[in-house]
Amino acid sequence: MKITIDNDLAKFIIRLADTEMILGQRLCEMCSNGPFLEEDIALSNSALDLIGRAEELYKIVAEIENKGISPDDYVYRRNEREYFCLKLVEQPNTDFAWTIARSYLHDVYANEVFTQLQNSKNENLAALSKKVLIEIMYNLDRTRDWMVRLGQGTEESNSRLQEAVNHMFRYIPEMWNWDDIDQKYLADTDKVKANWETEVNGILKASNIEKPSDDPFFMGDYRDGIHSEYLGHILTDLQYLPRAYPDAKW
Amino acid sequence: MKSGDKVWEVFIQKKPGLPFKHAGSVHAYDKKMAIQNARDTYTRRGEGRALWVVPAEAIVSVPLDQADAFFNPSEDKIYRHPTFYEIPDGVENL
Amino acid sequence: MDKYQEAFDGIIERDERVEPRDWMPDEYRKHLIRQVSQHAHSEVIGMQPEGNWLLRAPSLRSKQVLLAKIQDEAGHGLYLYSVAETLGISRAEMLQQLHDGKAKYSSIFNYPALTWADIGAIGWLVDGAAIVNQVSLQRTSYGPYSRGMIRICKEESFHQRQGFEIMLHMANGTPEQREMAQDALNRFWWPSIMMFGPHDSDSPNTGNAMKWKIKRESNDELRQKFIDKTVPQAEFLGLTIPDPDLKWNEEKGSYDYGEIDWEEFWAVVKGNGPCNKERLDHHIKAHKDNAWVREAAEAYAAKTEGELV
Repeated sequence: MKITIDNDLAKFIIRLADTEMILGQRLCEMCSNGPFLEEDIALSNSALDLIGRAEELYKIVAEIENKGISPDDYVYRRNEREYFCLKLVEQPNTDFAWTIARSYLHDVYANEVFTQLQNSKNENLAALSKKVLIEIMYNLDRTRDWMVRLGQGTEESNSRLQEAVNHMFRYIPEMWNWDDIDQKYLADTDKVKANWETEVNGILKASNIEKPSDDPFFMGDYRDGIHSEYLGHILTDLQYLPRAYPDAKW
Repeated sequence: MKSGDKVWEVFIQKKPGLPFKHAGSVHAYDKKMAIQNARDTYTRRGEGRALWVVPAEAIVSVPLDQADAFFNPSEDKIYRHPTFYEIPDGVENL
Repeated sequence: MDKYQEAFDGIIERDERVEPRDWMPDEYRKHLIRQVSQHAHSEVIGMQPEGNWLLRAPSLRSKQVLLAKIQDEAGHGLYLYSVAETLGISRAEMLQQLHDGKAKYSSIFNYPALTWADIGAIGWLVDGAAIVNQVSLQRTSYGPYSRGMIRICKEESFHQRQGFEIMLHMANGTPEQREMAQDALNRFWWPSIMMFGPHDSDSPNTGNAMKWKIKRESNDELRQKFIDKTVPQAEFLGLTIPDPDLKWNEEKGSYDYGEIDWEEFWAVVKGNGPCNKERLDHHIKAHKDNAWVREAAEAYAAKTEGELV
């Protein structure tokens, strides 16, 4: 079964859905690997929010496309080139600073995007955006606090966070390569970028973290299904069972 | 008060107007983390609308060997309870 | 007998609860710290075999349910560490004892989760056995432990259903799925009934624990309860329990079962099970690798005197 997406709005939404799904899968890796038990529980809450949000977004895609394809099909039966997540969320949990920096930079982005989508002409998307903004704001509050704690904590935590931020920033420029589809469904793409930069610059400063240079990178765009090599491995785990037993129901 | 990994007692208010009830405790390093950890640990099933966290070391309780001295004297002050009073039949709204 | 001992005995006698600030015999306190910390460690180490399948859960629904379940286990570990802390031991000390191999956890988590069906078997059998034990512990004599168990039992009521649902899908699925389900039952049955511990006649700690009403039912009574409720569920699934001696005893009104391999039981308890080293190494590594995070949080709190960010 080859899954194609034809409708522009569905193409736009699946980028968000894939981004939330892959970040959720990455956070699942943190289960039993957190710095203490309370943080393990908190990271699981974030992962549950993300995967639940992705599922709701896939439902809207399925409804728009109306081809009898389920959210599970979208998640489990598309290959690397058919996925449209931001490269940012594919980046690994090298240490806790990577986990936090990745989530923080994503949360700021998600906050801006879903704020605008509250006014989407698609009623389902508008209603969902209102609902998920509440959990996004909570998660953003948490990751923002951790940025400051790690940035201001010790010399070691500061340098680990700096390294994580340096790495993650390589995958920021592609966010702003808005295409026609983005422009069609986001009311003000310039505002997404401007608000993101104001928030992130402020927190980097408060965390004593130097802002990495914003040199352009040539790595292909996630909107074309071009990814980091990590995605293949993420999908290998994620899709193993339905791929190995295509006839089975779970 | 010492800083670092501390135990915080968690109190949850189920609905506005109800009293805060002790729910349990969490570990945290600062106030903000304490209230977030309390939220993530104790309200996963919609148990509350408001939260307090208090450093466990700030709670003062009655020493066990003084419990009698603290609590027994109130036992014989039965006039503090409405059932102490006899109201004649026919008197209402009292 | 002094008045403190008398007050304590009275609480136990009247089936009331002992509270943290009440006087209690040293042996009672020690026994509870050992039992509750072991219980807490079991919840936390138990996250690993299930976490092993979290990335590979085969549907969005099963992934979310499994994640919520593992998260509950972390939460329950946390509640139980808090209970132990009311007895005068810190969480840091308990973790040290775990890492030093001085504190045990339930041996069941030293068995590997090899296939997705094992996630079903763990929920159905392992949580099923744990629930029988925990329901009984709701009436334990130590107040915080009893209240913790009431909360935990309430929250865990969906755990066993999650496991049974997986088994049901697999038992009614393709021949390969069915085979996986039977294989999981074959491997998890005996370790599950070993979870209740040695026979009453060989259980050195049971005497005091029953006298003090920390434990309300014996190992063998709890094991029998578990077997009696689980056999009909296996029949419903159309799966075979790997015990040729298992049969209904009309006179007793319960099932007879075969002899447990105690040599295996003690070997796993002593550290020679399939995953003892992996489980402990994983926990120690996560703790050590993240030491810098805890130090950063501590340093930040000291700088800001715990003020809001």
